[in-house]
Amino acid sequence: MELKRREFIQIAAMTAATGLAGSMADRARASGAPPLPDQPDIPGVNWEKAPCRFCGTGCHVQVGVKDDKVVAIAGDREADVNKGLLCVKGYHVGMILYGEDRLTKPMARREGQLVPIEWDEAIDIAARRIMESGSKFGFYISGQSTIPEGYAAQKLMKGGLSNNHIEANARLCMASAVTGFLSTYGVDEPASCYDDLDTCDTLILWGNNPAEMHPILFSRVMDRQARGDKVTLIDIGTRHTRTTERADHFLKMQGNGDLAIANCIAQQLIENDTYDHAFVEKHCNFRADRDPSKAFDSVIDHDTYVAHVKEAGASGLFGEAISFEQYKKLVSYYTPEKAEELSGVPADQLRMLADVFADKSKKIVSLWCMGMNQHTAGTAVNNLVHNVHLMSGHWGKPGDGPQSLTGQPAACGTVREVGTLAHALPGGRIVAKEAHRDHAEGFWNLPKGRVNPKPGYHTVKMFQMLSTPTDQGGDIDTVWVQVTNPGQTLPNTKKLFKAKAELKDKFLIVSEVYPTATTELADLVLPAAMWVEKNGIYGNSERRTQQWFKMVTPPGEARDDCWQTLAVARRLFELGHPGLKDKDGEYLFRINDEDGKEVPYWQWEHYYDVNVDKALFDDYRRFTFMKHKNVAPYDELVKHRGLRWPVVETEPGKFRETRWRFVEGDDPYVEKGAGIQFYHSTTKDHKAQLWFRPHQWPAEMPDDALPLNLVTGRVIEHWHSGTMTMRIPQLRRAMPGAYVEMNPDDARERGITNGDMVRVTTRRGELNLPAWINGRANPQRGHVFVPFFDESAQINDLTLGEIDPFSKQPDYKKCAAEVTRLDQPHPYSREVVQ
Amino acid sequence: MSRQARPTRRDVLFGRLGAAVRRVGPKQGDELKRAVIQGRHCLAYRELMCSTCYERCPEEGAIVMDRGIPSVVADRCTGCGDCQGVCPAPVNAVLMIRAQPVIQRSKP
Repeated sequence: MELKRREFIQIAAMTAATGLAGSMADRARASGAPPLPDQPDIPGVNWEKAPCRFCGTGCHVQVGVKDDKVVAIAGDREADVNKGLLCVKGYHVGMILYGEDRLTKPMARREGQLVPIEWDEAIDIAARRIMESGSKFGFYISGQSTIPEGYAAQKLMKGGLSNNHIEANARLCMASAVTGFLSTYGVDEPASCYDDLDTCDTLILWGNNPAEMHPILFSRVMDRQARGDKVTLIDIGTRHTRTTERADHFLKMQGNGDLAIANCIAQQLIENDTYDHAFVEKHCNFRADRDPSKAFDSVIDHDTYVAHVKEAGASGLFGEAISFEQYKKLVSYYTPEKAEELSGVPADQLRMLADVFADKSKKIVSLWCMGMNQHTAGTAVNNLVHNVHLMSGHWGKPGDGPQSLTGQPAACGTVREVGTLAHALPGGRIVAKEAHRDHAEGFWNLPKGRVNPKPGYHTVKMFQMLSTPTDQGGDIDTVWVQVTNPGQTLPNTKKLFKAKAELKDKFLIVSEVYPTATTELADLVLPAAMWVEKNGIYGNSERRTQQWFKMVTPPGEARDDCWQTLAVARRLFELGHPGLKDKDGEYLFRINDEDGKEVPYWQWEHYYDVNVDKALFDDYRRFTFMKHKNVAPYDELVKHRGLRWPVVETEPGKFRETRWRFVEGDDPYVEKGAGIQFYHSTTKDHKAQLWFRPHQWPAEMPDDALPLNLVTGRVIEHWHSGTMTMRIPQLRRAMPGAYVEMNPDDARERGITNGDMVRVTTRRGELNLPAWINGRANPQRGHVFVPFFDESAQINDLTLGEIDPFSKQPDYKKCAAEVTRLDQPHPYSREVVQ
Repeated sequence: MSRQARPTRRDVLFGRLGAAVRRVGPKQGDELKRAVIQGRHCLAYRELMCSTCYERCPEEGAIVMDRGIPSVVADRCTGCGDCQGVCPAPVNAVLMIRAQPVIQRSKP
């Protein structure tokens, strides 16, 4: 029996409502009322756990399945992250599977048209093209790929094809956080966890709007406030958002002002002698980009900074050691008055913020996400925020420490841990180091020298090369995109992606679930299974690795992304590609059954004969021990709503997760008596690095012709490019299209009122949008905001492709723009001309 | 009235956004209704930061927000039903009720 769509919606709604009630029950429980059942009781519905498909928070949902269909979603009350609650997207997550235009058949472009073909042919076309392309092939995956998908792609590229052109869209999202962690602590990923939100008394939001982007985490704090806890919210940003509405202080800054603000806090801590002497003495070294004896600018423009970095070469990320005295001299420039000039934040507020950090009795959590990462000085500002926590000693205690958030469900798990980036190997290792390559070759049983030592192209470069004609040096001719939509999410998409349309010798393979801006230019479309239509493992922003099982059959001929990668790998093996054999001549991705017999899982009908996810994950798991990022074994993950690494075996069969890294008593790798130990310190002395990074101006500053600054971002209803959420009727109705948010004064000067159609112009292009003034959020004077979820109004045609010189992450938050009113009223406008 | 003089947030996006709203009422001949927000279904009551009905209500002052919680001001509500059409809660939190209570008179 097939449930009709309407019935499905009704059941989803009904059960989700039980989820809502569930959150109240927790409070009722304290008063002695009996708890609600964990899952709604609906006849014939089976329930299983899965992490939510959307953001990096990593909530767990209970998925109700009946007759091979997801019919209900409820918040998972056993999950630590969300405790039974879900956000507006999470309650509807089941419906992402049932949009009307799911791709269900492989398609190849013939004479300009995509025509249906069979899977065997599709796999053969992909394999032959990859074989022919050799080093001109790039693999572009995602922070939404599962860990086994990422690992299969990684092993195929780096271990099999000796090709390092593998990237993931997390480059656009997390790369600056990674370089920030690496250069400060010597190892990636946050040391703290979400538990801190339950105990902190001050929450500082650095260009972060969790009310819309991480609503469950924000509700954790709001819920405490509602129960009478005093939590002071300090919001630092360019835009008055829903988060700001709840904040106690709003520090309204100009673009890149965060650099000056953080440097100013350091200056104040030193000037007032309120920094934590013992902590700094014991746990910190000082560093700067370059030797301070060379001329050192306190304020620098983007191009000069890039030139400095280039001069320093590959070691630039790790800078040069300086003394405390030198550091003190360097930051002394950033007095509150100077910082006010640079950031736009009044000096009094800066002093207030410095006093907050100076107060040892406070417990401070800093949160940040894209505001700091999508930044041409992203690495620098990440370092500086770690700085202020380290200097003030607000570090490594429950409720007291910096926490970087991710936007995607496996940006940490798949991209940062598996290392699906052009320079990385699994487990936090890099291709440039011989010892690391040797290790990988050892694990994979490869001949020495198989892993290419030269890093591949980063995302922006890869797509730039794809979109550049071959005779003009565009040396990427084939890209395989999985689980992401670069056609809408790359910056400056006209140049970096859409230009490919004219280049007939370039080839784009896209594994997708729905038609997108990316499939529009695809030469080969592979229909993919998604979320609970396949097995999977994600890793969220607090190092929590989360597993789920396949629950329903994918529609039509859609198949797992991981199967697609492995089927192409097998085809390459059959075509005689030497890289698909290990040094003993065995197939690189051989998986045996219990009797030691090889399973032909590359044939779709045999793919689920064995748990391929488990085989790949346990293969990958060995890598994670090398940098103390030990993930739990697959079978342990099955039992839990995620476990936070490092997960260590305390006694046989018993595993313990870690909440606070580098902290004695919780992190098993900290030596006894050390208190706090940064055991991956870049200086090998167990100390973190306190960085001096100069204030930098944005890469593109507003000027007379383009006097506004364009910021892009998300809205609560939609997730990224809207491929999934725009197919959920409730969410689409609640937020059906993009708009430009303007400051009322900027609008008035231009004769623009609410609902007017306006034209947004930048140096890359123009886009017509309705204006929204005094709406959900309010940008400050000189700033406009446009969300990027809308396929019919792609703001990334206009954004800037400039990148952070270390992390190679583009800046989506700052470029020069102008907004003008269109003469014709919008055709649907209710505006009556009087 | 000049356009600049009334940049009200209530005219928001009545272009594209308005077009996609599922119109649920009132049709001609229907009796007058009022919207009521039911807290037990409303996401905002769970601190989930939803304000869609408030943002999209076409009548100035008909839905007000207090500490993130929306409520309908009955005197200002015209019963257009837009808020019900846009409510993204898993169970629609907006109930359209009769504007006037029906009073049954007992026979003398």
